[in-house]
Amino acid sequence: MHFRRYFSLSAFALAAAAGSGLALAAVSPLDLVKPVADYKIYVSEKLETLLTDTKAFTSAVKAGDVAKAKALFAPTRMSYEAIEPIAELFSDLDASIDSRADDHEKAEKDPGFTGFHRIEFQLFSENSTEGMAPFADKLLADVTELNKRITDLTLPPEKVVGGAAALMEEVAATKISGEEDRYSHTDLWDFKANFDGSKKIFDLVRPLIESGDGAFVTKVAGNFTTVDTTLAKYKSGSGYELYDKLSEDDRKVLAAAVNTLAEDLSTLRGKLGLN
Amino acid sequence: MTQPTAHIPNGLPSQGRMRLAVAGAAILAIAGLAAFYYASRKVQPIAAASGLLVTINDETCVPGELTVPAGRNTFRIVNATNRAVEWEIIDGVMVLEERENILPGFTQTVTAKLPAGEFEITCGLLNHPRGKLHVTPSAESAADAARPALIAFVGPLAEYQVYLALQGNALLRAVQALDAAIQAGDLAQARALYADTRRPYKLIEPMAESFADLDHAIAPVADYLEQREADPAFTGFHRLEYGLFAKNSTDGLAPVSTKLVADVTALKERLRNLKLSPERMNSGGARLIAALAETRIPAGEEHYAQTDLAEFEANLAGVTRMMRLMQPVTSKAAPAIVAEIEAKTVSVEAALAAMKGPDGYPPYGEVSAESRRGLSQKMQTLAGAIGKLNAAVGLE
Repeated sequence: MHFRRYFSLSAFALAAAAGSGLALAAVSPLDLVKPVADYKIYVSEKLETLLTDTKAFTSAVKAGDVAKAKALFAPTRMSYEAIEPIAELFSDLDASIDSRADDHEKAEKDPGFTGFHRIEFQLFSENSTEGMAPFADKLLADVTELNKRITDLTLPPEKVVGGAAALMEEVAATKISGEEDRYSHTDLWDFKANFDGSKKIFDLVRPLIESGDGAFVTKVAGNFTTVDTTLAKYKSGSGYELYDKLSEDDRKVLAAAVNTLAEDLSTLRGKLGLN
Repeated sequence: MTQPTAHIPNGLPSQGRMRLAVAGAAILAIAGLAAFYYASRKVQPIAAASGLLVTINDETCVPGELTVPAGRNTFRIVNATNRAVEWEIIDGVMVLEERENILPGFTQTVTAKLPAGEFEITCGLLNHPRGKLHVTPSAESAADAARPALIAFVGPLAEYQVYLALQGNALLRAVQALDAAIQAGDLAQARALYADTRRPYKLIEPMAESFADLDHAIAPVADYLEQREADPAFTGFHRLEYGLFAKNSTDGLAPVSTKLVADVTALKERLRNLKLSPERMNSGGARLIAALAETRIPAGEEHYAQTDLAEFEANLAGVTRMMRLMQPVTSKAAPAIVAEIEAKTVSVEAALAAMKGPDGYPPYGEVSAESRRGLSQKMQTLAGAIGKLNAAVGLE
């Protein structure tokens, strides 16, 4: 809770900062075409992986293989979390794929509670796959539909550039608090995916702002490095330790760097003339 | 916990703000000035603070129905429930704007540039009834639509750049497969694979043509070379086509094919880094369609393989892809011309489809002069319509 409060204050400041950003003179609107195109290709690749991984995950769920399904849950979600600013553009699919129990009147018992977190609840809290077959089928169908819709979607440039900050806000709001994956405690996997997705966007637009605002680029790159090195301490095998292993000191380091990143990155839209 | 309040005068023009800052420097320590400067940049402007108030109660939004003019609008969202909520503006199933994680008792500001139309707003939990947001046309939105800013084209151009990348990859794969057959001396296989290489090339031809050196190496036609087929500059696709379909042999084609793979690899790289612009899309499309009407349809280009009709179809598909990607922007600025382009496109597509038999298109040599004239005329009117687009959307 403490961290969520800390976040919401900075969210207020960044809403203000985002509104007043001045575009860098050197950036022509058409300079944005290539980064946006490259980002679309990145998103397409992530969606392809998401689809493959979701097939394996839902098969394990339907086969009643609890251990395998548990092992596949966190890595499968990473491709979704990396492209969340685009993945969540479709409100119906976002709700059916990634809503939390909190978003529903009757929480875990709500019939509208579906998708990754519904299955996560069953796997990790109930240690079973009972009754999950229809949820697994629906999740795979939704991910397939998401892939199709995004393939046909012209990405709004302001959502792409704004996504860098949105992903860091997402980390601040739901990962640093351990709220997102509350049953599996695999929040650090999602954290890493959000982080990678945000850094990808920053890296794509970086050449456009490097000459006009070098100090900004250096500061943001420094904070990305801080988060990356801190997170790297919790690598375990091909993934990450459970969320409760995160030390209080590291949690503070991460919270500070992530909040600063969210605030700084929220000025990207303005710098690139997208407000 | 309450939100911080604005206490710095923000309505001042920048000169006034500067003067205030200078006056401040006279009485404050340097540190104080820095703090002031920092604060003046971070504090929410008063204009934004006076945005439209929407309160989220346990089941509804108050007001549940809003009307705003098109353009930039600010909403202040008050969460009067006891759980964290997100607030979204939704267009059909698409989220136009959102603010996540508004904590109980908190107010968050959402600024959105909205087009005219009917939208919904979310009110707390997912199953709660949504509110309505009516966005009425404004002078600002009408002006934006009539003369779209360059920024409006970034999304469509990026999507086209992805298309170029995908077709560029497909082209390279096809040319490599053809090369393998040629290097192996497999005539039947090479003849079968030739057409596969042509479609992706024709799809991206409006942009591929912009690189003169590669264009001259990849796609010269013997008609325009001094010694025709015997000319040393006769290279690329048509040189291979000549060997495979006129000479019925792969003799001497291996080095030509190797060179074509290298040129297509270079083309793919250049397309990835090509700086696109909407004018260039429109003028490139009009130019290619006019070239079809004026020279390629009357004379043909695939003299040996006779696959011209399939190539016209691919050229048309490539240009149509560009036009349709830009339609969300161009149709607002020049609805009549966009409708005309669409109608002419459908008419050419229909004319081509009518020439298709059960086994696909006939060899071009069998297409009568009269049929060619008819197709060429339709193509010419399409070129004319596309040619009007740049001026109509304020790009000239």
